[in-house]
This record gives sequence, structure tokens and C-alpha cells, in this order.
Amino acid sequence: MLKSTHEIDMTNCLQGNYFDPEIETLPREEIRRMQLEKLQRQAAWAFERVPWYRERFLALGIKPEDIRALEDVRRLPFTDKQALRDTYPFGLCAIPLDEVVRLHASSGTTGKPIVVGYSRSDLDAWSDCVARLAAMAGVTRADRVQMAFGYGMFTGGFGLHYGCEKLGCMMIPAGSGNTERHLMMIADYKTTVLISTPSYALHMCEVGESLGFDWAKSGLRVGLFGGEPCTPGMKREIERRMRIVCTDNYGLTEVNGPGVSGECLFSRDCQHIAEDHYLWEIIDPATNEPLPEGQEGELVLTPLNKQAFPMLRYRTHDLTRITTEPCGCGRTHARMSKVRARTDDMLIVRGTNIFPSQVEDVLTGIQGLAPHYRIVLDNDAGMDRVTVMVELQPDAFSDSFEQIDHFRHHIVDRLRQALLVTPSVKLVEPGSIERTTGKSRRVEDNRKKP
Amino acid sequence: MAVSQISVFLENHPGHLKNILDVFELSGINVRGYSASDTGDYGIARFILDKPDLALDVLRARGCAATLAQVLCIRLPDKAGELARVMEAISDAGINVIYSYSLISTIIAIHVDDTAFAEAALQNQPVELVSQDEISKIL
Repeated sequence: MLKSTHEIDMTNCLQGNYFDPEIETLPREEIRRMQLEKLQRQAAWAFERVPWYRERFLALGIKPEDIRALEDVRRLPFTDKQALRDTYPFGLCAIPLDEVVRLHASSGTTGKPIVVGYSRSDLDAWSDCVARLAAMAGVTRADRVQMAFGYGMFTGGFGLHYGCEKLGCMMIPAGSGNTERHLMMIADYKTTVLISTPSYALHMCEVGESLGFDWAKSGLRVGLFGGEPCTPGMKREIERRMRIVCTDNYGLTEVNGPGVSGECLFSRDCQHIAEDHYLWEIIDPATNEPLPEGQEGELVLTPLNKQAFPMLRYRTHDLTRITTEPCGCGRTHARMSKVRARTDDMLIVRGTNIFPSQVEDVLTGIQGLAPHYRIVLDNDAGMDRVTVMVELQPDAFSDSFEQIDHFRHHIVDRLRQALLVTPSVKLVEPGSIERTTGKSRRVEDNRKKP
Repeated sequence: MAVSQISVFLENHPGHLKNILDVFELSGINVRGYSASDTGDYGIARFILDKPDLALDVLRARGCAATLAQVLCIRLPDKAGELARVMEAISDAGINVIYSYSLISTIIAIHVDDTAFAEAALQNQPVELVSQDEISKIL
């Protein structure tokens, strides 16, 4: 099978390639009606079966019957990662452990991992969600799907595996590592879909190219990415080099795993939330108050079909915005924008929330700057000051103070428009900012903690 | 006739100017004149050198923000009123001096908007312009 760049048949990708046409195109009022019923059931399930939730309901003076409308979800207690740590491993389990058919865990950066159990019906609901996101990317039962995630406790491997199998694909459980074997399998089994992290896909491109592997002649046409953030630039590069279409999806172990939302080919970089499985809220992470549709805030998720480890109002700490506007792909389920930042990264400056990712977006959009920056916060007589240090690229330097100053003002203006706070900008010599991979080292907060 | 000047973007911290001079020394580049000015946070150091092209290459190779600009170099007789006479000739031609500094001996460097125009304007005057060749030789 031969193909040329992006001459991929999109006709059945853009419209009509639904896994569950009825649910995926359900009118919004019906989605909301279904969500209310399920929310009531889920609240009662958690209250009756999980002491941790019962205590919180009682402390708030509420009963499951108090959920009469979807908006009443705000009366329910939040759940966060700490609840899973405090009750580790099985304290939040709502069913007898005999009925738990699988465990997954997410690696904690400190101490114990968090563990989540699944009932048979949880796995069914989960693979439903994953089958949908695969179909959104144009995957059909005729596809041969090669897994390059590791299996194991991480939800990505098994989650995508069973979801694609449910869609009817031929699953090739290659697992992670051994790039040459992956390439051989792609060629020999005529693999059409690759499941991988974006960085591993790039690695595969490089190894393939060095071995003379011809991506144009491979049957590969779709990449389903996950496990780590994928910048639009990275995605485009993989699409160009492997000559495939790549989509992203979103999910987290605490609420099953991948499959909360997936990218359709119509509104790239936005992801449809499986609203019959998840009730979403967007809140202001500082006040916990709901935000109007379209505004960026913290995503809070309540899975609506979760038996073993019910989660009410799980705080994802991920920042996104959501729209319920109709999508050209025909799906009626709300779309969330790609998660770029977490509330953990948030800096509050003079009462305004700012994120390093916003600064990064502005700086990468300006010619003459290297993508290396540092944000320094100081407090001067009660007034917060933000200083953004950024490297001047040799090409942008012109032997004129006037031009450098003009350039600096331009950067200040662009940052002010994005952040709604006026920062100072310090241009520094190329190469003078420490190179790190982590985001946290980019921020130096010298303000006195209250 | 114009002379190449190397400008380097520098943060205003101890040692930064010296680092540049170390680079010159390592490559056997001789500084004939320089000026360093600042705005508080950063500055521009400007150099008249015997080997300006080599200097630009080695600075760029080290990742420095460096650039090359053309300046006019004028030799002044060492007596009262000479600097005034040159500046008068320049202002009479309607040329604005963006910056100027003096080199070793009594040679001054002048940066203007239009170097070629200024050079032509000065050629009709009793003003001694100095070439890159002369700069590169020991004066």
C-alpha cells in the first residue's frame, strides 16, 4: 500500500466514524438528563458504600437525595489525590474485593503510588470510552493496532489495548522498547495504527530513518498518543515524518485512565469528553467557585459509571476550558481544550493567576528570543513584581540601544496582554539561563510566604 | 574607507566584558579602541579591532549576541579645536552622530545613519579618514 503525505482518506474520519452513534450524537438536553440520573445514583452509591464519603456527606449536612438538579453537584464534597493516599490501598473501594477484577496504579512522585480497582462493569465502561476516542481518530475494526506503551500498572497500556480490541481492531501487544522489532512488525503485519508516547514515536522516526525504513511505504496511517504532553510542533513533526495523522487523548488513573476525552479530526487540539461517563465542572482553583462556559479553570470530574472506586468531584488540577458548541464531526459531547498547565504551576501575582506556560507561549511567538526564560517574583513594599528574564538571540541584536529597548517594550506589551499583569523584562545574554527539563526551576519566588 | 566595528550585547555584571576580551586575546585579536555603555541591566560594548571579521566569527561561535557595524574613523591633529572642527563639518552636512568615541592616539570613531553619505561629505573637508588597513597596522 502506497501513500503520500496527508493524502489519507479522511471521508470516514470527519463524519460518521462513531463507535456508539446514538450516544455520541445525543441531543444535549438528553445528555444532561442522563447525567442527572447517573449522578444521583453515583452519589447514593458512594454515600452508602464508602465510609470516607459518608463522613463527608454528614459533615456537609447533605444526603444523596439533595441532588435534584445537575447544579446540585456543587453541594457534593471534592475528592483529591490525598484522599486516595490517606485510604491507600483499598479504603475507597465500594464493592467487595472479590468483585474487583483488576488494579491499576499511578506512580507517585513521593511515597506510595495511588491504587485504583475496577469491577467488570468499570472495565466495560472504560473500554467503551477508549473505543470512542480511537474511532474519533478514524480508527475502524479493519485497523491493525500496535501497542508501544508498556503494559503493567500504568493505565495507558491495558486501557488502549482493550478499547481498541472492543472496537474490533487487530491488537498487536508489542509493548515498550525494542524499536527495531517494532519497525519489523509495522512492515510485516502491515500495522496501520501506532499507540505510543510522542517522544517514543520521534525516536522511532529517527531509528527508522537511520535504518532506511520508508514510512511512505508502510501502511501506518494513525497515531494515538498519550502518556506525556505533546506540543503541537511535536505532533506536526511526527505527522510529517511518519506520514500519519496523530491525535491526543486525555484521562487519569483516578477516574479510570485514558478515555475521559479524545481528539476528533474536525476540531484538532480539542477533545470530546465522554459525557455519559463523566460529569465535568470548571472551577476557579482559588475560590472553588464554578466558572462560566469557555473560561479557563480547573477541570473537576465525576465519573458517572464507576462502581469499584467511585469518585465524586475529583480535582484533576489540570487547567482547561470547555465548550458545548456543536462540533463539525457531529458529536454533541462537550469539548475541552488541550491541557497545557496545572494548578500546581499557578503563580498568583497581585491577585491575578499566571502560568509559566502562558509566558512560554508569548515568548515562543516572538522572533529573536530563545525559548529559555526565567520568571522571578519579588515583593517590594507589599507590591508583587514579576521579572521575566529571556535570552536575546544573536540574530536579534543590532548595535542599537534604541532597538533593543523597543524590542524589550514589545515583549512587555505582549506579556501584559496575555498575563493581565505588567512584568519587567530583562534581556540576558544567549546561553546564560540554566537549561532544565523541569518547569519548576524556571520560577524563582522570592516573596515572603505568609 | 569605513571601518568595521564589533558590538556585543552584555549583561551588566562583573567579568562579562573581561570574558569578551579574553576571547580576543586567545585569538590574537588586538583592540584599537572601544566604548562600553550601559542602560542599567545591560550594555553594548563596541570594539575597533585589527581583525574584525575573525572577532565576529569567534564571538558568534561562542553564542554571543554580536554584530558588525560600519563606523568612520578620523585622525585628529593633537591640538585644540580639532574635534570641534570635525563635528562642525559633520553637522554642516546635516548628519546626526548616533554615538562616537575615541581610539588610541587621537583617532575617533563615529557611527552615523548613513556611513557612505557621511564619508562622502567628509572627503571634501580637511579631515583625515583612517581605513581598516591602517587600523589593523600598528599605528
